[in-house]
Amino acid sequence: MSSIDALDQRLQDLMLPYRPQREWIEGRGLLVVVAHFFSGIGAGVWLFSLALDYDAGLIIGIVVTAVLAGGAHLAFLGRWQRFWRMILRPHSSWVSLGIALFLAGAILYVLPGVRDTTFGSAMLVVSILGVALVLLHKGFVYLVSKAIPFWNISLLPFLYIAYALRGGAAVLLVAAAAAGEVFDIDLLEAIKLWVVVSSAVLLLLYLALANNAGPAAKRSLQELVAGRLSPAFYAGTIFLGLVIPIVLGAIGSTTGLWRGLLAFVGLSSLAGDFFVQYCIVKAGIYLPIVGELPPARSYRGRPRLF
Amino acid sequence: MVIDLKRCIGCHACQIVCKAENGTRPGTLWARVLKQELGTFPNVRRFSLPLLCQHCRLAPCVEVCPTGATQKRADGIVTVDPDKCVGCRYCLMVCPFGSRSYQAEEWTYFPGDGDNPYEAIAYAGHPTGIVEKCDFCLSRVERGLQPACVAACPVKARTFGDLHDRQSEVSRLVDERGAFRLREEVGTCPSIFYLSP
Repeated sequence: MSSIDALDQRLQDLMLPYRPQREWIEGRGLLVVVAHFFSGIGAGVWLFSLALDYDAGLIIGIVVTAVLAGGAHLAFLGRWQRFWRMILRPHSSWVSLGIALFLAGAILYVLPGVRDTTFGSAMLVVSILGVALVLLHKGFVYLVSKAIPFWNISLLPFLYIAYALRGGAAVLLVAAAAAGEVFDIDLLEAIKLWVVVSSAVLLLLYLALANNAGPAAKRSLQELVAGRLSPAFYAGTIFLGLVIPIVLGAIGSTTGLWRGLLAFVGLSSLAGDFFVQYCIVKAGIYLPIVGELPPARSYRGRPRLF
Repeated sequence: MVIDLKRCIGCHACQIVCKAENGTRPGTLWARVLKQELGTFPNVRRFSLPLLCQHCRLAPCVEVCPTGATQKRADGIVTVDPDKCVGCRYCLMVCPFGSRSYQAEEWTYFPGDGDNPYEAIAYAGHPTGIVEKCDFCLSRVERGLQPACVAACPVKARTFGDLHDRQSEVSRLVDERGAFRLREEVGTCPSIFYLSP
């Protein structure tokens, strides 16, 4: 988009009653979705690898979080050179605190000879604390924005947690398909199916809540199910992210899946994970600045608020 | 600040003088005027709604800023420190009034021709990659002057002062006329009071 087109679009947006949010989805803004996608996956992979005692998965979790999520986060910033300022204020930046804790704990935990020591156990706790912050952060980042009612729905953090977990399981399915029977695949398949079904239920509930969260949220929902985002929503979120993993997962739980199909389920699920986050962020529409003008009221005798 | 919508004639002088005073880049409007309609046919009124940063008491932009670049001063003015901002644009996501702007690259009115010498001087104070917003013309206020939009308003629709001071003009207007604030239900407690049109 040329600078004149971008300028024109911004001025057009300022006049719209329902302004779409663009800063976190268009151009380099897409990187914030990519970063949240990878940070969720990294956290999920770490947790499942711990549960399944899968060493390579632990490394994958660290690499995905440090390189892909961290890199996307930095590349998204307008002034990435100043990122250290976020780390110095951990109370106001959960993601930097979460990623820092996770990486510090995880890297020290996987060092040879550390795991079975008291220090190793402490690092494990630190890494899990970091993972918890990363998982919580993703949803809360959007939840606190009262200006965008579609995001300001209390179920959103739970939805993001569910999608992060299933993303982690999906990566391990792909890893298992590539590397062979390195852990209990049947158990992972069962967990994966359960998480996918749970996320489907959460997504349905989220959309139902959005329908009752005011006109701006309703408009976002319309964009999602019947507007400009519907192709990405139906093809990506529903078909790739829910239908394929649930149908093939159900088949696999009874008959077992061959490796290629296992990898396909994992990749399809990952695509669905990305699209659900993309659709939710892209569908964000700001509350109209003015609706009906509120009646004037007297502030006499009240403490002046500013 | 108090804005009298009955006086506002929608001339956009505030918008123009804000750009002139602050030398903001193309596409950045710290002050703007929305044209609104009120009521339903046949009882419809059209009025102008001047908008700027609402300098909220419970400013969500201050709460979410990961670096502390956005701060609320003791006098209530919300400012952005350009040297601390990392350009994460979280504040843009939480501002219900669209009062913040971010520019990733240098836009110009005449692509290919670059900036003229006056623009080059003005834009030097507005680096790209960070978020900016209205600061009530802090440099003027600190010199005892009114913000530019207040000083330039030809119909004196804007009044600037200390809302804590019960004897001030802004307090008197709010007390006598009654006022409303934008999107009170969001809970940010804006410090811009509007007098009804």
